Amino acid sequence: MKGFKKDLLIIFALVLLVAVLILGTDIQSVDEYYLTHIDDIGPDSETVTLSIRCDTVLANLDKLDPALREGGYVPEDGIIFPETKLVLREGDTVFDILSRATRYYRIQMEYQGADETALGTAYVEGLGNLYQFSCGEGSGWIFFVNGKRPSEGASHCKLADGDRIEWIYTCRFGADLPDHYQGVVK
Amino acid sequence: MASSAKENSPLLRVEGLTFAYPGEISALADLSFSLSAGEFVLLTGVSGCGKSTLLKLLKREIAPHGKRSGEIYWEGAPLSRLDDRDAASLIGYVGQDPDSGIVTDKVWHELSFGLENLGTDPAVIRRRVGEMASYFGITDWYRRDTDSLSGGQKQILNLASILVMQPKLLILDEPTAQLDPIAAADFLATIHKLNRELGITVLVCEHRMEELFPMADRVLVLDEGKLLLSASPREVAGLLPKAHPLHSGLPAAQRIFAKLACEGATPPLTVREGRAYLESHYAHLKGAKLPVVPVTEGETVLELDKVWFRYTRNSPDLLQEASLSLRKSECFALLGGNGSGKTTLLKLASGLLTPYKGEVRVLGKPIRKYRSGELSRVGVALLPQSPAALFLYDTVEKDLLEIAKGNIAGGNADAVRAMADRLAIASLLARHPYDLSGGELQKCALAKLLLASPKILLLDEPTKGLDAAYKEHLVQIFRDLKADGVTILTVTHDLEFAAKVADRAALFFDGEVLSPDSPRTFFAGNHFYTTATARISRDLFEGAILPDDVAQLCRGGAQ
Amino acid sequence: MSRERLHPAVWMTYYLLVLAVAMFYWNPLLQGFALLGGMLYFAAIAGGRAFLSELGFTLPLAVLVAITNPLFSHAGATPLFFMNGNPITLEAVLYGILLAGMILSVLYWCKCLSMVMTTDRLLTLFGGFLPKLALTFSMTLRFFPRLFRQMKAMEAAGKTSGLLADDSFFDRLRGRMKLLPALIGWSLERAMETSASMKARGYGLPGRTNAVCRKMRGEDVVFLAVILLLGGLTLLSGILGDLSFWFYPRISDLPTGGISLMGYVSYGLLCFLPVILEWKEWYQWHLLRKKIPLS
Repeated sequence: MKGFKKDLLIIFALVLLVAVLILGTDIQSVDEYYLTHIDDIGPDSETVTLSIRCDTVLANLDKLDPALREGGYVPEDGIIFPETKLVLREGDTVFDILSRATRYYRIQMEYQGADETALGTAYVEGLGNLYQFSCGEGSGWIFFVNGKRPSEGASHCKLADGDRIEWIYTCRFGADLPDHYQGVVK
Repeated sequence: MASSAKENSPLLRVEGLTFAYPGEISALADLSFSLSAGEFVLLTGVSGCGKSTLLKLLKREIAPHGKRSGEIYWEGAPLSRLDDRDAASLIGYVGQDPDSGIVTDKVWHELSFGLENLGTDPAVIRRRVGEMASYFGITDWYRRDTDSLSGGQKQILNLASILVMQPKLLILDEPTAQLDPIAAADFLATIHKLNRELGITVLVCEHRMEELFPMADRVLVLDEGKLLLSASPREVAGLLPKAHPLHSGLPAAQRIFAKLACEGATPPLTVREGRAYLESHYAHLKGAKLPVVPVTEGETVLELDKVWFRYTRNSPDLLQEASLSLRKSECFALLGGNGSGKTTLLKLASGLLTPYKGEVRVLGKPIRKYRSGELSRVGVALLPQSPAALFLYDTVEKDLLEIAKGNIAGGNADAVRAMADRLAIASLLARHPYDLSGGELQKCALAKLLLASPKILLLDEPTKGLDAAYKEHLVQIFRDLKADGVTILTVTHDLEFAAKVADRAALFFDGEVLSPDSPRTFFAGNHFYTTATARISRDLFEGAILPDDVAQLCRGGAQ
Repeated sequence: MSRERLHPAVWMTYYLLVLAVAMFYWNPLLQGFALLGGMLYFAAIAGGRAFLSELGFTLPLAVLVAITNPLFSHAGATPLFFMNGNPITLEAVLYGILLAGMILSVLYWCKCLSMVMTTDRLLTLFGGFLPKLALTFSMTLRFFPRLFRQMKAMEAAGKTSGLLADDSFFDRLRGRMKLLPALIGWSLERAMETSASMKARGYGLPGRTNAVCRKMRGEDVVFLAVILLLGGLTLLSGILGDLSFWFYPRISDLPTGGISLMGYVSYGLLCFLPVILEWKEWYQWHLLRKKIPLS
């Protein structure tokens, strides 16, 4: 039994070490991390707009994780990030814009990288401390471009000048979104 | 009426019992005998004579399936009509393998198992189990795991867990075949005590006649499924046909007597009687001695050089600077008590274990320098304590064919058949290894080892479960092997076998091999650890360790 | 000793209650009670040496678990620093520490459970109401050591006869594959033998009894009542929601209402009950020994 326990510890430590090595050890302080350069909007720059909203939660407060009920995690108007114009760089995807914006504006975000998910695209688990399943079983983040649900994932969806990106929190698999989205979500 | 019939009739009566396994010729033919209440009866015969079949037929629950005729009566009424509960409790059965009888993991649970089945009240169960545990001296290991017991303790447990059910008849099928001599003697003494003190009827089948003849009231000899003889132990030697293989298994005193063939004298049975017999007839030859054959020197093929070994860091040393060197073509017998480390020594010599100090050398090369498989290719073979472990397939033949592959050039099947004939196991080839008795398995295991054409044979208890006639056969096989240049190291409890077959013998004690010597010097010099013949003849002759030696000296003197 | 004297069912109830609360309520105070109680009890029944050697395993394990959590979970409102673009948050670190504590306390309680619930006592526990299960359990415990011994013997026999090589991992794997059918055959054969031995001793007759039943004594009932009361109060307090605690996104305050207090006190008592019993009995022996005159 002794040997078995030792093996267990060693295996555990090795897995951890390998994970750290693969994931890399690029460590930044909080300030360094948030100190992201964001391009100024000039007359020639291409732009898109981004907004992050969670109105649906307001109608489902009874299902909301008690830990999120107080402390302003769910704004009263449901707007976590108001519609804002951002510079579009060459080749930017929906995910690139989101991660740049959350960094610059210090919005909490947790995601699974494109290499970790089964579909091969980045998956946003939580925004502004609001996570999938935080408000019932059918809850999570989905995004729209120009009011439509693109067929690609966030890290594959290329953008064009003037696109309007919305990240919206749903509590019932998209069935509880405002009317004008109903047509695009099945 | 019924009760008087019950009183007058014997406990068990077998009438014209004939039995055949499906698709085979009959195992038992028209067998008739009876057992009176309180009798101690020894059933004997060469291997495969139908003893086991008969014993199983008498225990209804485990009776084999097949074609049978004739009838078995229990206290006057057919056994088949006995109530289930009575049948289970009144007839107790103990088999050969100490492990196979034990059902549960704790000694106390095993003891209560039978009574639980009978639906006995828990309070009564506790009392009877307590009583039985005290009677058998089980109290010290009452709470132990059954798995941690020695073979002898397991057999005692098997016996005790039957006796709590208060049987009238005990059926024992070679109960000591897998035990060492000391445990075997203990077990047989217990049976004898049960018979004398509690009046339990005993029907036992055994090869150990030296111990059992003095205990038994009657001996039944079975020969090819027929009852050859039913006589008192003292008469058996005289009544048995001259060339019957069973002769070689009789007690030493009887064999000496038979060889000298004195008319008129009462045949001796025990060592004490044997001594008295020799004293009264051959006192004039006192002091005669047999020459000691000097031990020949030769090339060393296997050597243990000051070897130390222990199993775990905190366990005691089993080998303490043990040294031993085997010479080419010799047979070396290593004797010694149970758990003394003899088996460990064999495992070290075969490379299964590694000493923490000292060195084992095979053919002059340190054993740790051999790669795996290489040792078997240079011809080291080990017969393990449990020979069943050597068999992996569903017939004996497949295992033998596998080992014959590549080791003997040319026809594998022919080699297997030749080996089967040599070891007299041709009839066992098609059987499943696990269906064989301990003795049969032992023979097949030897065949498997010999098919690899070994140069150094390491044998752990090669005679376990074998009858005397087969042991004689084995002695001849060993002699042939030695003539072919094979070296044999055998660990054994069988002193007479060692005396017959060994060139050198030594006692393993306290982690050491104590001064090896020729068997004649070794056994003649020992007082307790010696053959029955040596004990009989010690005061009269010097160096007589086998019945033939005594006969030779007596005749030599008479001429 | 109370652990030997009390009915196994009392102990079983006890362990189930302690473990259930420890696994389902993520309250630092309750976890602290469970961990401390479990470790102290283990030290009391296993001895200091065993405790230290166990610590050699559990401490590194706890550290590893505590480190792992923040590496993989990035939730939480207070980032300490960022690693590869992901935040390492204070909440995740603290959660990791609590998780490690919980794993440790479950480990220690299970250790104690396996020491107190010997197979004998498990049999007594099941023998009363599930006699068939108890017998099967006992037969299984009998069988497995034999199986492993047989496997070792077969491996050794194969090695010495040169039919099983063990030079490399694959050799060993191939050897095992070869042994498998033989081992299955061996097991079936043992099963046949065992069933013959069972039949020979009347197994299958109607009206089987069980020798291993043990009635509840007065002391057992008292302890069972105490344990159920303490456990029940804890669960009640939990059901009323007054033991809840969360880490994400920000660590919540420890609930401190009257009902919460009831939960803390009752679970604390429950966790330290066996240690208190052990110490009390040890002290009583101590006093008794002093009274025995040295002749």
